[in-house]
Amino acid sequence: MDFSFSREQVMFKKEVIRFAKKEIVPRVQEHDLNGEFDFQSFRKMGDFGILGLHFPEELGGGGADVVTTVLAGEALGEAGVDGGLTLAYGAHSFLCADTIFRHGTDAQRQHYIPKLASGEWIGCMGLSEPDAGSDVASMSTTATRQGDTYVLNGTKMWITNGPIADVAVVYAKTDPDQQHAGISAFIIDKGTPGFSAGPPLLKMGVRTSKTSELVLNNCVIPAENLLGNEGEGFLMAMQTVEWDRSALLAPFVGSTTYLVKKCADYAKGRVQFGKPIGHYQAIKRKLADMRIFGEAARALVYRIAWCKDQGRPLNHLEAAVAKLFIGDWSLPVTNDAVTLHGGYGYTHEFDVERIFRDTRLAPIGGGTSEVQKMIISRLM
Amino acid sequence: MNYDFSEEAEKLFEAIRSIAATAPAEEDLAGATVDTISAALREMLKTLAGAGYLQDGLAGDASESAVNQMAAMETLAGQARSLFLAVEMSTRVLGRALARWGTGATQEQWREGLLQGQWIGALALSEEAMNVQNDPLATVGSRKDGRVVVSGGKHYVINAPLADKIGVVGLLDDRPAIFMLDAGTEGLSISEPVPTMGYDGIRMADVTLDACVLPEENVLLPPEGTPVLDLLRQWENEVLMAAALGMMQAAFAEARDFAKSHRSGGKPVIAYQEVGFKLSEMLTLYQTAQLLAYRAVWTLKDQPKEGAALIWCAKVFATEAAERVAGDALRILAGQGYRAGSASESAYRAAKWTQIGGISTEIARVRIGDQALGYAPGR
Repeated sequence: MDFSFSREQVMFKKEVIRFAKKEIVPRVQEHDLNGEFDFQSFRKMGDFGILGLHFPEELGGGGADVVTTVLAGEALGEAGVDGGLTLAYGAHSFLCADTIFRHGTDAQRQHYIPKLASGEWIGCMGLSEPDAGSDVASMSTTATRQGDTYVLNGTKMWITNGPIADVAVVYAKTDPDQQHAGISAFIIDKGTPGFSAGPPLLKMGVRTSKTSELVLNNCVIPAENLLGNEGEGFLMAMQTVEWDRSALLAPFVGSTTYLVKKCADYAKGRVQFGKPIGHYQAIKRKLADMRIFGEAARALVYRIAWCKDQGRPLNHLEAAVAKLFIGDWSLPVTNDAVTLHGGYGYTHEFDVERIFRDTRLAPIGGGTSEVQKMIISRLM
Repeated sequence: MNYDFSEEAEKLFEAIRSIAATAPAEEDLAGATVDTISAALREMLKTLAGAGYLQDGLAGDASESAVNQMAAMETLAGQARSLFLAVEMSTRVLGRALARWGTGATQEQWREGLLQGQWIGALALSEEAMNVQNDPLATVGSRKDGRVVVSGGKHYVINAPLADKIGVVGLLDDRPAIFMLDAGTEGLSISEPVPTMGYDGIRMADVTLDACVLPEENVLLPPEGTPVLDLLRQWENEVLMAAALGMMQAAFAEARDFAKSHRSGGKPVIAYQEVGFKLSEMLTLYQTAQLLAYRAVWTLKDQPKEGAALIWCAKVFATEAAERVAGDALRILAGQGYRAGSASESAYRAAKWTQIGGISTEIARVRIGDQALGYAPGR
C-alpha cells in the first residue's frame, strides 16, 4: 500500500487552495445569503482548469487523473468554498460533462466538452423524479422514437444547476415495459421547445447552487442526441456514482480541515472565565472529533479515486461505505463547530452556520444513508 | 498511491491465519493457570518467530512494511485475541525498544531472545500518577559501585506473571530509562494476577521494585531528548489499534454469518432492515478504521509528527468503533452472542482495554486538540 501523492499533485492542491481563497471565497457568504449562483467564480474555475480537469487536453481539459481531480475538490473545501458551488461543479463536470465524454460520439464530445470544460456552458443531469429517487427503475419519464427524433415527456426533480444549465443529460424510459434495461440517456440543449426548468427551489443549505425541476412536455430532440444505445442509460447513471463517491465527497473532507482551523482560531481568541476556551478539554474534544472524522474520511474517498484510476469497475460496497460514513459522520462534526462558536455560530456572521446547513445534504444527496445501508447489506 | 497489498504481504497474512488457527480458543484460556497460558504463549511466539512475524516493523522499516505489519497484526488479533496482545507487548513494545535503543552484548542477547520467541517479555510503564502531562516517573534508579539500584511500583503490567524478562520504565540520571530485570531478581515482586473484565487469556499484574540491583549494562538508555514515554505509548497504541481491528473483523464476521443463516419469520434475519442496516454500519466503521490505521502507520516513517497525530486519531476511532461494532454484533446475535465463547461477547469486553491502554482515548483527544490549537501537549 502507498498513500502518497506525487509532488506535482501536492503542488497543484496548494495552487487550487490559493486560487480559491483569492478568487472565490471572498464572495461566498454574500452569495449564500442572497441564494445566488456565482457565475463569475464558476467561470474562473473553468479558466483555472478545474471544471475540465480530467478531460483530455485536446478537448480543453487538463488531462489529469482521478486522484488529482479529487484533490482539487478537497482543496476547494479546504479553502472555504461553499458546498453550493462545489455541488454545482460536481453536477456540471461529473454528472453531465463526464457522461457525454464517456458515452458520446466524437461529434458530441467535440461539440460539448470544450465549452463545458471552460465553463462557457453549464451542465446538469436529470435522473431523479418526484416519485423516483434512488428507485431509478420506477421513473416515469418516457422517450418515444418518432422517425429521426425522440419525444420526451415527464418531470425531473432535485436537479442541481437545472435553472441555469445550458445542457442537460436526461434519463428517460425508451421501453416503459422494462425496468433498468428500459432506461436511455439523452442530451438536451437549453431552449429546446418543450424543455423548461421550474423556478429555483428554496433550500436549507447549498443555497448558491440552483436546484429545480425539469419539465419535458412533448420535447422533441434529434435522434442523434441519444447517448450510446437505447437501454444503456442505467449503466451510465451508475457510472456517475463513481464520481458521487469520490470527487463529489472530496469537498466535505476539505471542508473539515477548514473547520478545524476556523474553530481552533476562534477557540484561541475567545476568552471565558479568564482564559481562552481552547484551554478547556471539552473544546479540545470537539476539535479532536473534527480532525478524526476528516482523517478517517480522506482515505475512503481516495480509495475510490485510486481504483477508478486503475480502470477497475466500481466496487459498490466500498463506494457505499464511503458515502455512508461521510454522510452520517459529517453532521455531528459541523454541529460541534456551530456549538463551539456559541451564539456567534448561530449567526450568518460566522460561516460555520453555512457549513452546517450545507453539510446537511451529505446524507441525502446522491443516495441517502439508508440507501447506502441497503446496498451494503445486500453486497456483504 | 496504491491501495492494494503486494503478493508477498498476502502470503504473510495467509501464514499468520494458519498459525492463528492453531491457537487455543479464548474461552479455554479464561480459567487457565499461568503455566498453561505461558506454554501456549511460548508456542505461539516460537511459531510466529519462524514465520518472520516478530522481527518485522521494529526498526523503522519502510512505510509499506509498516502497513503490511499492521494488517498482519490485525489478522492475528482477529483469531487469537489474548495471545496477540501478550505476543505484541513482549515483542512489538519491549522488543522494539531493545531493537531501537539497545547497545552492548547483554541488550543484544535480550533483543534476540525476545524476537526469536525464546523469552516472554513485559514492559512495566504505568504508574499511579502518570497523566496527560507525563508527570515525572516515580520509579527511579541510582548508580552505586558500578551497578544500578532501582525502586518503584508499576500497575497493570501485561505478561508480568509469565515474563522471563521485564523492562521497567523509570528515571536514571534524570533521563527516561528502561531497567531490564530478570524475573527472579531480588527485590522484584509480582502481584497475583489482576482479575480483568476482558482479555480472558492474558495475565496482568502489579510490579514492585524494592532496591533491585542490576548491572549498568542492563539499563536501556535511549539518546538524550528521545520522547521515550511518548514512543512507548505510540507503539502500544499501534498494537491496540490492530487489536481493535481484529475485534471488529471477528465480531462483524460472526454477526454477518449468523444473520445470513438464522431465519426468523420465514427469512434470514439479514433481510430485515434493522439487522441489515446495523451490519452496514458495522462494516463501515470497520473499513474506515482499517484505512485510517493503515494510513497512520504509513505516515509515521516520513512524517513522524503528522504520523503520531494520525496514530492518536486512529487509536481513538478504531478502539471506540470496536466497542460499537462488538456491541451491535451482540444485538444481532441475541442470546447466541451473550453466551460466553462468542467472539462478539469477548470483543465487547476486551474493547474497553484498547481504549484505556496506551494513551487513553480521552488523553488522545486532548493531544489532538492541543495540536489543532498549536498548544504544547497537556496545556
